[in-house]
Amino acid sequence: MVKVRLKGLKKYFERVKAVNDINLEIRPGEFVVLLGPSGCGKTTLLRCVSGLERVTAGRVFFDNDDMTYLSPKDRNISMVFQNYAIWPHMTVNDNIAFPLRVKKYPQKEIEKRVNWAAELLGIDSLLDRYPTQLSGGQRQRVAVARAIVMEPKVLLMDEPLSNLDALLRVRMRTEIKKLQENLKVTTIYVTHDQVEAMTMGDRIAVLKQGILQQLGSSDEIYHNPVNTFVAGFIGSPQMNFIEVEILSQNKVLYLRAKGLVIPLLDKFKDRVSKLSDKRNYILGIRPEHIYITGRAQTDQVASTKGKVYFVELLRSDTVIHLEKEFGFLVVKTAGDLKVKEDKELEVLFDLLRIHLFDKDTGKAIF
Amino acid sequence: MEKQRIPIILKIKQMVTIIIAGLIVIWFLTPLVLITISAFALPEDYYQIEKVIPTHFTINQFKALFFELEAWKAILTSIKVAGLTMLLSFVIGLPAGYALSRYIFPGKNFLKLLCLATRMFPLMVLAIPLLIIFMKIGVSDTIWGVALAHTAMVLPMIILISSSILSSISVDYEEAAMIFGLSRIQAFFRITLQLALPGLAASAIFAFIISWNEVFVATILTLTNRTLPAHILSTAMASPDYYKFTAGFIMAIPAMVFIFFVRKHLVTMWGISLK
Repeated sequence: MVKVRLKGLKKYFERVKAVNDINLEIRPGEFVVLLGPSGCGKTTLLRCVSGLERVTAGRVFFDNDDMTYLSPKDRNISMVFQNYAIWPHMTVNDNIAFPLRVKKYPQKEIEKRVNWAAELLGIDSLLDRYPTQLSGGQRQRVAVARAIVMEPKVLLMDEPLSNLDALLRVRMRTEIKKLQENLKVTTIYVTHDQVEAMTMGDRIAVLKQGILQQLGSSDEIYHNPVNTFVAGFIGSPQMNFIEVEILSQNKVLYLRAKGLVIPLLDKFKDRVSKLSDKRNYILGIRPEHIYITGRAQTDQVASTKGKVYFVELLRSDTVIHLEKEFGFLVVKTAGDLKVKEDKELEVLFDLLRIHLFDKDTGKAIF
Repeated sequence: MEKQRIPIILKIKQMVTIIIAGLIVIWFLTPLVLITISAFALPEDYYQIEKVIPTHFTINQFKALFFELEAWKAILTSIKVAGLTMLLSFVIGLPAGYALSRYIFPGKNFLKLLCLATRMFPLMVLAIPLLIIFMKIGVSDTIWGVALAHTAMVLPMIILISSSILSSISVDYEEAAMIFGLSRIQAFFRITLQLALPGLAASAIFAFIISWNEVFVATILTLTNRTLPAHILSTAMASPDYYKFTAGFIMAIPAMVFIFFVRKHLVTMWGISLK
């Protein structure tokens, strides 16, 4: 189990700063997910760690060894590619055995390991087939088997599930995570799918335009996002963002928008009273933290009314788009609720679950 | 089991297709068949105007051209030259093709255009000056000289074709090989080249054939070490008419036999798979 440390990592392509000063430490045996939208630099970062891309500046350490300028083959790593990259002119057996053959392992050892990896991934019956004779899911398993057969120091995965159909993706998510837990290999996993990130990662690194936004567990990322980007990227449907200003009345602080007044609980008072600027803030609240009257999960609520604009009956949940003076409010509630459009609805804000962001910087105040 | 009746209109379409295909085959095969038959015809039959197809045959002309006039030597020379051309154009062209397909560098598009531009140059203009240069270096009238000239002709095409073939092989395969223990060069030879081999083999055959058929430069650049086309030009053209069929036969048959054996690879180059 190896610790991975990225120090001041930069990768520039001409004028494009794909990776812009990343500092990151991954614990031994940890499963870290690099999450972000397309073009945020997550794949480039992974390729820098693998050595397929040469860094512009910064260093890559495995434990205390400087890997920065080593070629990929000398880093003792494995990678699962998005398109699997299993060699079409070799059988499944030869594909999996390849890393071992290159390192000149004895034949008996190679056979043993290949069979172990194939059984683990459930492809031991496919060893004599060629990749063109396999389904997408089977090819992906071959790619994973090939990656683990050598027991690498670090396992890298570049969106390995994105080419699979939805059902298979869900199943493979569990399998890969379980596999990693058993093998205890330090893993870096790249994805743009926040569900994958939340379910698989021990910690998640959210990236935007080459800059690390937040590194934390799924709990931290979800409940304490450091800025509007992270808050908006995680969680579906997206968090509600409402422009507000701070109001003070009778020693009570309020957040006010058109058609909405929210009192601030005492626990937030300190942070807010220190703020000099009273305007230019954004209130954030997740759809699942706005309740329908009678279904509140706490008694610390503030109510507001709006007209139902649109209803999404997912059956597992119901998502209601409420028309307000400041815009739309998205509310998520249990699937048994049925609401009609154009009806006036009263909803309750969970006051413990609100977030406040600075409008200009996007940074979270709480 | 009842067989489904195919409607008449489809049957007619089938027949028409067969007839057209048959006509095309006849169009292409007739000259070959005529040449082959006439190659072995007795001169008397050849000169008899009424007889379209000769009835008496001899192998005298063939023996004369092949052995006495040493056509067999010319065939060997052609093989050597074409082989050398194939080798040289690949040793130089393949790395260039790799660079063009895998890297981005200034002047890349210019280089590609340059390759195409050389094809536009009229060969006639170059042949004599080339001979003079070759004489000065001392490679005129040698196999090496002709091979060099042919390589120059074929190289731009090999560069462009191999660059396009290598581009079709996903760089992922190479990168995976690099992750799992090979250096870039090793990855190229053990993975990319293996995958590109069918297409590259086809283009190698292409280079061979172009060199084999090339008559103009080969004639100008050689006097004693003649390739087959050059040889035929000087010997058969100077012989009585009926020798020309024999000469045509000697020229066409080796090439046809060669292509027959490698036809699978040629078709691969154009993207169709032949079982």
